[in-house]
Amino acid sequence: MSGQTGERVIFAILGVPMLICMLIFSWILSLLLTGIGSVRWELLTVSALQGGMFEMIVGTIYLLLGATAIAGPVGILAAIYLVEYAPSRGLTRIIDQAINNLAGVPSIVIGLFGYTFFCRHLRLGVSLTAGWLTLALMMLPIVIRGSEEALRMVPASFKEAALALGATRWKAISSTTLPAAAPGVVTSVILGIARVAGETAAILFTSCVLITRGLPRSPLEPVMALSYNLFVKIVALGTPAQKVFGVALVLFMIVTSLSLSAILLRIHYRKGQPWLMIR
Amino acid sequence: MNLESFLKSLHKLFMRLKSQPVEFILFFCASFSIVILLLMFLFVVKEGSLAFVRLGVQLIFGQRWETNSDLYGGFPLVYGSLMVVSGALVISVPLGICTSIFIAEVLPFQLRDPVKSIIELLASIPSVIYGFIGATFLAPLMASIFELHSGATALTASLILAIMVLPTIVGVSGETISAVPRDYKEAALALGASKWQIIRNVVLPLSKSGMLASVMLGFGRAIGETVAVLMVAGNVAMVPTPPWNYLAPVYPVTAVIAMQMGEAAVGSLEYSALFGLGSILFIITFVVNTIADVIVRRGPVTRGVQL
Amino acid sequence: MVNDKIDIRNLNVWFRDNHVLKDVSFKIRENAVTAIMGPSGCGKTTLIRAINRMNDLIYGCRTSGDVYIDGHNIYDGNINVYELRRKVGMVFQKPNPFPKSIYENVAFGPRIHKVASGRELDEIVERSLREAALWDEVKDRLHDNAFNLSGGQQQRLCIARALAVKPEIILMDEPCSALDPAATAKIEALIRRLSKKYTVIVVTHNLQQAARISDFTAFLYMGKLIEYGDTKSVFENPHSELTEKYITGKFG
Repeated sequence: MSGQTGERVIFAILGVPMLICMLIFSWILSLLLTGIGSVRWELLTVSALQGGMFEMIVGTIYLLLGATAIAGPVGILAAIYLVEYAPSRGLTRIIDQAINNLAGVPSIVIGLFGYTFFCRHLRLGVSLTAGWLTLALMMLPIVIRGSEEALRMVPASFKEAALALGATRWKAISSTTLPAAAPGVVTSVILGIARVAGETAAILFTSCVLITRGLPRSPLEPVMALSYNLFVKIVALGTPAQKVFGVALVLFMIVTSLSLSAILLRIHYRKGQPWLMIR
Repeated sequence: MNLESFLKSLHKLFMRLKSQPVEFILFFCASFSIVILLLMFLFVVKEGSLAFVRLGVQLIFGQRWETNSDLYGGFPLVYGSLMVVSGALVISVPLGICTSIFIAEVLPFQLRDPVKSIIELLASIPSVIYGFIGATFLAPLMASIFELHSGATALTASLILAIMVLPTIVGVSGETISAVPRDYKEAALALGASKWQIIRNVVLPLSKSGMLASVMLGFGRAIGETVAVLMVAGNVAMVPTPPWNYLAPVYPVTAVIAMQMGEAAVGSLEYSALFGLGSILFIITFVVNTIADVIVRRGPVTRGVQL
Repeated sequence: MVNDKIDIRNLNVWFRDNHVLKDVSFKIRENAVTAIMGPSGCGKTTLIRAINRMNDLIYGCRTSGDVYIDGHNIYDGNINVYELRRKVGMVFQKPNPFPKSIYENVAFGPRIHKVASGRELDEIVERSLREAALWDEVKDRLHDNAFNLSGGQQQRLCIARALAVKPEIILMDEPCSALDPAATAKIEALIRRLSKKYTVIVVTHNLQQAARISDFTAFLYMGKLIEYGDTKSVFENPHSELTEKYITGKFG
């Protein structure tokens, strides 16, 4: 039986790293939670000019809305092309690789590109619009990959039945494949939003300022954001922890709830795929 | 697929797109990524061209980076990046691979989804929050343990970076392990192999390429990380003495770019040097990602795995 | 007066370099059941998919030859292929209802062809479900998910769905192969009933089924049409030795 005990030992050893991972997560969580006491929650609706967080929160939301409005449709349409229309696997592979490469570009390089292309070349200046475009670039690969996967999981028989009834290709896809893939697509969009909600490097010099008078009146004005604010306060201003805990916590909660909803949506979605049960 | 057939199919594609408006719009969206990548390369390199011309390889190998004296030798920066990244990989790769094996093969399957979800949540935490935790909690801890003046060191940055890269390694390795066909495992089982023997003799050899890919992707992720390292690495543009001193502050390339872009005058040498460093980063991550992609595609088991 | 609904002349189909159908020619009678039989891989499915031009959708597929329906060549340049597919309905081997309600499944066809809406649509749905012998079983739960039906019911739903757009020809690709004997019997009876109004073509690898339900039978082997004629003669007095071997089970 020593073989079995030997095996148990090996598994115990293998289990240690996993335990470490779980411990790290709890440690981070606990650290953040210790700060809950020192946050004054009324500050969420108070303007930054009076020490509050209002414009930062709204600014972050503005950035996310615009980025989603760009990356969402483009990403979903691109995924549809890759899964349903692309004529050869060679072309799909090249585009897939480009998407993977785009996903791997460091956020600071995307920020550099955003600055020189959107802010300067397209003359948008440091603005909300430039932020939208730059963040959309970061969201795009996530939306495309997730939507691609969701579309591929839908059985082709639905589309075939629609085609046999005389539907055009687009009609067949939009009325059968797309609705069936919708939960997966939505999940990938949410994941994309979660990714860029906390993004700092990309908006560092493309769209953010530390403080403004009120909310931006037009998309060509710069904006305040939670991530940027937290970053500058700690790095440039050396603000002590207690004062920035509020910003950190709000940002953490936004991102974590987005990620959690994506995870829960995915679990719920898997249960609701009746065509998988037939097998 | 040779060049001639490629061009022919491209021509057929354009003919078809002209007649089908729906397909044209979809193709336009799909080709965005390629267009953006090209644009990115062109514009970032263009802004860095001044530095390339004036400084040449000094941008990477020059020993002194002093903005005030208009000196832009990037060696200390590159060294700093490599120090921090290798430190992070040394920690996270063994940890990550062991964890992924454990999750895929040992963990009872009811626990699998919750644990994977926790790791996913860990991955979703923004880098600025990691930086916040590093600067607020880890750095003072380091300072008190090692009796330093400041806790902002290469070691601190490596630790934070290791946590950030962990989910990538666990995730990609995990997918590789899951991609090992059940048939092989069942065949071994039928021959009387124990679980560990199956892992060691069937699963691991087949997962080697996927794990290598995960390490490469972890490397790419780590070298591109900006905000978190910036907040804990110390930001002093000097190679530590002695060179393996992880308790000294360093200034990774990404941190330099983020910190100094705000003050660099557009068109100045400093501005161009930062873009030059950015171009090099872009090329490195591009190469690393492409190699990882190729490894996964050619791998015996991972052929269908989506990265 | 007896009419030939479909006239197939010198039909050849290639999938890349694979010559799947080789110079197939025969005529299909109107308002009758024609069975197409043969061993696996002989090109039966490709043949019927050539009649509603579903092969066009497969990358790398080439077709030559002509298929005339009511005297019009469907491979002509200016044929509206979507209208063709409305006229020629198809039922697949594995029942494939949409992940929608029973009602929505049947209403799908009329909706996309903008044939009817509202009250009219309700009538079309009821008529089609009655014709497919499914109405009594689902009339109280039209808005239930189609996947809650049994396999046999799902297949009848697919038939109702095809009938809803008022086709003239119905193609069936091994419609019973995924079903149990009881469900199969129901569908076979349905096929015989439908043939009074529609031209039905059934692909099957089940010889007894072909003998049971069809008026005419075509025997395909390795992409070539070996024999075609009325079912009785083909089974009792085959012209070709190959046909005889197949019927007596010497291969298949």
